[in-house]
Amino acid sequence: MTAPVTAQRPARAARGTGRAGLLVRPALIGAGLLVLWWWAGSQQLDSIEARNVNGEVIGSQVLEHVELTLICTALTIAIAIPLGIAVSLSRSRAGRLVVLSLGNLGQAIPSIGLIVLLALVISIGVGTAVIALVAYAVLPVLRNTMVGIEGVDPVLTEAARGMGLSRLAVLFTVELPLAVPVILAGVRTALVLTVASAPLAALIDGGGLGEGLFTGLTLNRPVISVTFGVLVAALALLADWLGLLAETSLRPKGI
Amino acid sequence: MTFAEYVRENWITIVNDTILHFDVTLGAVAIAVVIGVGLGMLTYRHSTLAALATTTTGAFLTIPSVALLGVLIAPFGLGVLPVLVALVVYALLPITRNTIVGLQEVDPAVVEAGRGMGLSRTRVLWDLRLPLAWPVIFAGVRVSTQIIIGIAAIGAWVQGPGLGNQIFNGLGRFGGANSLNQVLTGTLGIVVLALLFDLALAGVARLTTSRGLRA
Repeated sequence: MTAPVTAQRPARAARGTGRAGLLVRPALIGAGLLVLWWWAGSQQLDSIEARNVNGEVIGSQVLEHVELTLICTALTIAIAIPLGIAVSLSRSRAGRLVVLSLGNLGQAIPSIGLIVLLALVISIGVGTAVIALVAYAVLPVLRNTMVGIEGVDPVLTEAARGMGLSRLAVLFTVELPLAVPVILAGVRTALVLTVASAPLAALIDGGGLGEGLFTGLTLNRPVISVTFGVLVAALALLADWLGLLAETSLRPKGI
Repeated sequence: MTFAEYVRENWITIVNDTILHFDVTLGAVAIAVVIGVGLGMLTYRHSTLAALATTTTGAFLTIPSVALLGVLIAPFGLGVLPVLVALVVYALLPITRNTIVGLQEVDPAVVEAGRGMGLSRTRVLWDLRLPLAWPVIFAGVRVSTQIIIGIAAIGAWVQGPGLGNQIFNGLGRFGGANSLNQVLTGTLGIVVLALLFDLALAGVARLTTSRGLRA
């Protein structure tokens, strides 16, 4: 019951923002980062803080974070969209039920629990972090792919079939293009979810901005955790904005 | 030690963590209902203000929980307080948005009738719109609860209460005896708690919905 509402959110926001409105978000994020830069610069850093809050460390962690997110999102899309198409094509009620109830249950599983469990069962490291993050992000894309394809007006597919298109041609020329907005909303949700959960990867030695966050807390240096916290937040808001851009630009013309 | 043995031997701690987890979630949802419904009631009549309320609370939900907690410990320190504040922030969007949508979508004919019977604007809001919108608002409350019950687990990272402590204890003794049992207990406990919480809220939704609206 939770997922349809989260999936609706991007679509609603996309409709509410005009072209100029698209530029407000990056401007606000930039302003936030400027404030952070000014604030961090004005602090008296002790040696531990200086070792963590500097351009080099921040740059490499941001890079790791972005890399981790991109790999996970690519894998998520590669797994979830074909699977979603397959399930809705097979028209099996059992498959549908399994996916939807897994989706509901999956949302209740806390991401931190899933990551640590997998690390205990498999091993620590980036690989496990990727598996956990992908497992977590697959559900919204899978669900939206199914819902998107099933939401296509049967009259349209009927008409296409009547015009002599094969089952496969109907899928690629009618059903998928019409489902694109819903699928993209799912991808955007997954992207933000991945950026947001990626800091937890640092707990199992997976790298990324989580390292700075957890270092700051463990060593009781709020300056460090605030700096990296703001960076993660900015990255998530930026990812959401990129998703919004993709939603508006990749939408097939005429929808 | 098997999982069952671990649970049997530590059930007092586990039940205690579960209760604390429930408490902090319930407290956060209660505060979020007051703020979110209030925000919705103040903004639903102006489309720009309503859009501003939903986009702002939506942006809150985009901020990663680890990041927000990391920032919140600067003003609030460690413990329950930063967790409670973070959970309230995350619970706002579904409640605020559903309040706005629910209040806006009340049949204008009903509002007209109420006005015609001599009810003031405030009375129409409290006696007509709010009861009619309540099922929608409460659906938002249920979504919020499901969202923050999982986020509350991360609260243990800043010394917050709840089942997250089982997970972080297990992580702290990585690979040691019972570390898997602890993480499993924390994770499964939260899943079960989320299911029970949702069932209970479904009951509350039925009880608090105006009698004429019940299916």
